[in-house]
Amino acid sequence: MNLVVDRRTRLAKFFDRADIVGLGTMLLLALGIVAVGAGWVDGDAARVVIIALVVVLVGIIAMAVMGNGEVRRKLAPYGLLKPGILWLALFFLAPVWSLFVMSLSAKESRFDFWPDFSWHWDNYRTALTEFRPQFVRSFSYAGIATLLTLIIGFPLAYVIAFRGGRYKTILLGLVVVPFFTSYLIRTLAWQNLLADSGPIVSIIDDLRLTGLFESLNIMDNGKLMNTPAAVIGGLTYNFLPFMVLPIYVSMEKIDVRLLDAAHDLYSTGRRAFRKVVLPLTFPGIFAGTLLTFIPAAGDFINAALLGSPNTTMIGNSIQDQFIRQNNWPVAGAMSLVLMAIITVAVMIYTKFLGTEDLV
Amino acid sequence: MSRFGRGAVKSRRARFGSLALNAYAGLALFYIFLPIFVVVLFSFNKPNGKYNIRWQRFTLDNWANPFAEKALTEALLVSLRIAVASTLIATVLGALMAISLSKYKFRGGTVVDLFLVLPLTSPEVVLGSSLATLFINNDVDFGYPTVIIAHVMFQISFVALTVRARIRGFDWTLEQAAMDLGASPLAAFRKVTLPLIAPGIAAAAMLSFALSIDDFIITYFNAGSLLTFPLQIFGEQQRKIPPQINVLATMILIVSVSLLVVGTLAGNRRRRRLEA
Amino acid sequence: MSNHAQRRNYSRREFFIRSGLAGAGALSLPALIAACGGGSDGGGGGGGGAKTLYFENWPAYIDGATEADFEAATGIAMTYKEGYNDNNEYFAKVQTRLSSDKAIEADMLAPTFWMASRYINLGWAQKLDKSKIPNAKNLRSDLRDPGFDPGNLYSMPWQTGTAGVAYNIDATGRELTSVADLFDPAFKGKIGMLTEMRDTIGLILLSEGVDPSSITTFDDAAVAFEKLEKAKADGQIRQFTGNDYMDDLDTGNFAACVAWSGDVVQLSRDNPSVRYIIPEEGATSWYDTMIWMKGSEQSDSVAEWINYVYDPAHAAKIAAEVGYISPVEGVRDELVKMGGDAAMMAESTILFPTEDEKKRLRTFASLSEEEEAKFDEAFAKITGA
Repeated sequence: MNLVVDRRTRLAKFFDRADIVGLGTMLLLALGIVAVGAGWVDGDAARVVIIALVVVLVGIIAMAVMGNGEVRRKLAPYGLLKPGILWLALFFLAPVWSLFVMSLSAKESRFDFWPDFSWHWDNYRTALTEFRPQFVRSFSYAGIATLLTLIIGFPLAYVIAFRGGRYKTILLGLVVVPFFTSYLIRTLAWQNLLADSGPIVSIIDDLRLTGLFESLNIMDNGKLMNTPAAVIGGLTYNFLPFMVLPIYVSMEKIDVRLLDAAHDLYSTGRRAFRKVVLPLTFPGIFAGTLLTFIPAAGDFINAALLGSPNTTMIGNSIQDQFIRQNNWPVAGAMSLVLMAIITVAVMIYTKFLGTEDLV
Repeated sequence: MSRFGRGAVKSRRARFGSLALNAYAGLALFYIFLPIFVVVLFSFNKPNGKYNIRWQRFTLDNWANPFAEKALTEALLVSLRIAVASTLIATVLGALMAISLSKYKFRGGTVVDLFLVLPLTSPEVVLGSSLATLFINNDVDFGYPTVIIAHVMFQISFVALTVRARIRGFDWTLEQAAMDLGASPLAAFRKVTLPLIAPGIAAAAMLSFALSIDDFIITYFNAGSLLTFPLQIFGEQQRKIPPQINVLATMILIVSVSLLVVGTLAGNRRRRRLEA
Repeated sequence: MSNHAQRRNYSRREFFIRSGLAGAGALSLPALIAACGGGSDGGGGGGGGAKTLYFENWPAYIDGATEADFEAATGIAMTYKEGYNDNNEYFAKVQTRLSSDKAIEADMLAPTFWMASRYINLGWAQKLDKSKIPNAKNLRSDLRDPGFDPGNLYSMPWQTGTAGVAYNIDATGRELTSVADLFDPAFKGKIGMLTEMRDTIGLILLSEGVDPSSITTFDDAAVAFEKLEKAKADGQIRQFTGNDYMDDLDTGNFAACVAWSGDVVQLSRDNPSVRYIIPEEGATSWYDTMIWMKGSEQSDSVAEWINYVYDPAHAAKIAAEVGYISPVEGVRDELVKMGGDAAMMAESTILFPTEDEKKRLRTFASLSEEEEAKFDEAFAKITGA
């Protein structure tokens, strides 16, 4: 009798901490599934882990069913998160771990099929020395492209947000709609436009600007296609909406009365812009630069379709090593280096310019 | 009329500046549409040879036979199948996460936030190659399942964050009120909450559908011998660029524009109804 | 080669592959994925029904009618796909399955001779049922008994061709005659080279006076790699291309490039400014094969197909369309019989090189595994991707 009461209070205490139990279960399940997916445990151990995970899952469901409304309420957020978290744990976290293991593996010869894990740090040396030009190119091309999207996108977002009036939605739609045709098809269209016998080169020739463009290093030997400028142009074009949209959203949020007050206060439009509009659009610029820079740095389509052998980016190298050369370990090392550099860059950037709001 | 006009007398210079700004924005829009003009124009071209890259003469033949390229059409169907499946899964999982994050305050919320942002801030080559490594290590064959898994993976984050941003201001006490009036939690959710947050979820689903259809890099690593629409074009453009590519692209464009217009109109009507 | 490459590392596989979920039976990752992804395709013995013959070939490498004609003549359903874009890429794609003793979707592939040799040495190709291929007797005598496959037990050539120099006279402004013309500074940034190492390096070797059929080590060919590296650094080379050089040649983005003979035959029908030469230094000759893949159960269908395309009348139809040199004896007579454009092709020196040109053709030497790795790696470094 006593025992039952005792157990009940203990159980009640346990139920009181439902939020901690919920969080703990979620983390445990995520960890377990990463462990199994990434191969930290194998054979019988894996079987045990899976059975344990199922038991825990059944347990937490039982707890929610048996518990009162309060317990259910505390468990609910974890329950709702769980499917998504587990998916990301298994197909995002576990793969990154697999890639890490792969990046420290080595093949005995080029024609060996399965790389062996052997703490082969040399892959990272290869990635950083042999493929250094590609890394440098990736980040400089992506940087220039991000700057260009800002120069093109900011005034565009400004005009739509503040002068669009009732055409705002339509104008914004016009910015987005072209990007519903396939990425590749758009890039192929640029191939067409930039070709040596294409319209843009002919216009430049007719205006006798070829010399100027060549001195600016935009054109090379009378051609636009297969130059760094073409690759950067492609990146700029393809990632432009990722800059325009966040800036537009942050401008949209600005209270019109604030603008009027600023105009009254600062009298000139330029100062009002600098003191009010610009600071308030920083979150948008911040998000836009990240959303442009990160995919641009890892892109390989623009360099493949618009570039030359002297404009390959790190994405091309990763793709080539992984898919054609069958050199997964070096491709893995390059991927992780790319990810690490971007993460560090984003962290520094966030520290200096950052806002909480990424989206 | 102008919001800026009040109080300040516009100088000629300011007026010129504003005109120049509008012209600049117009040019930017022109730039955005330039390749699209090419895509649409060349769907009416009768190419001389295998490459539809030089203007020869106007024809409607391509539009009369939009599905003449068997492999291309098949690839488009493959892409549509994948997009439907992955969008369904990702929308359910992502929306659940968004509801959880915006409705409840709970331990670990910020960690989950960070976790959701991570896939979006990783370059696609990294996501693609790492997932492919996982599949290779676990002896999984590439095909439909692996592509759908990959697409869901990047769509979940996208859906969760978009939906959360859309329902940030949602008043969750409405649901409580319904339950106080005797509705079961499920009924309260279905009858009260869902209709109000549905537009946000639908918008996120549509955008993630578009992401799936157009994804190249991640798919390239995880498709094996399966050919999606972008993969087919990538292979095919090496040997031929049939005008049907342009026709299908223009069709996709028309469908998206119509969806956008319908969505905007519906949104406006809804807003007006709510305001009335 | 086979010995080394076939070694599968079981300790590694225990660590990696058999690890984790594999032990948990129904809960294994592949099973889970198959369950939630709506059925896995692939599997053993060719996709779809058991009677479908799946041939994966290079793109634009057949005429429009042969597939249907074959189906009508034999009653065998055929899946003809054009997913073979690159020897190395395709090998990388199928090696995970084949090296773990699993069948791939395709029953037949069309690797180039040196890659066919790799598949055969690895034991990934099956012995053809030659008793059911009586037309094999029509194989051109110069293609019989290649070093890697004496008696053609495992492979039969699909098409043969040469890799020479193609140019667009509108862009060059003059006729070209040699490989050295590709390095003319006047064409800076307007030259294309192939990602097929043996063709690009082979031609450069010939221009340096080295016979690519007699090299044995990387050092023998180093001079060509240096020359290529320099041309790339100087911006002479606009792009390295696989199958995708024809549009650039057509529009004049490429003034000249290393090209495969049949492609230029196809292209010059639409654009007479495009020409092809066997350079005065020489050119490489090569052939693509048909091989029957391990794990496929379509022995009879494969034999029927090969027998069908080795009928000179059928082979002539393919040759008339693709413009390559048919490996089948008697095709020239058939082309003449067909009349019209086909008869004109019978006169083409690209399809049927003159005796003088034939003397200048070389086939790239077969390399030891160790040396091949050096060639591949050095070449991958230059192409830079």
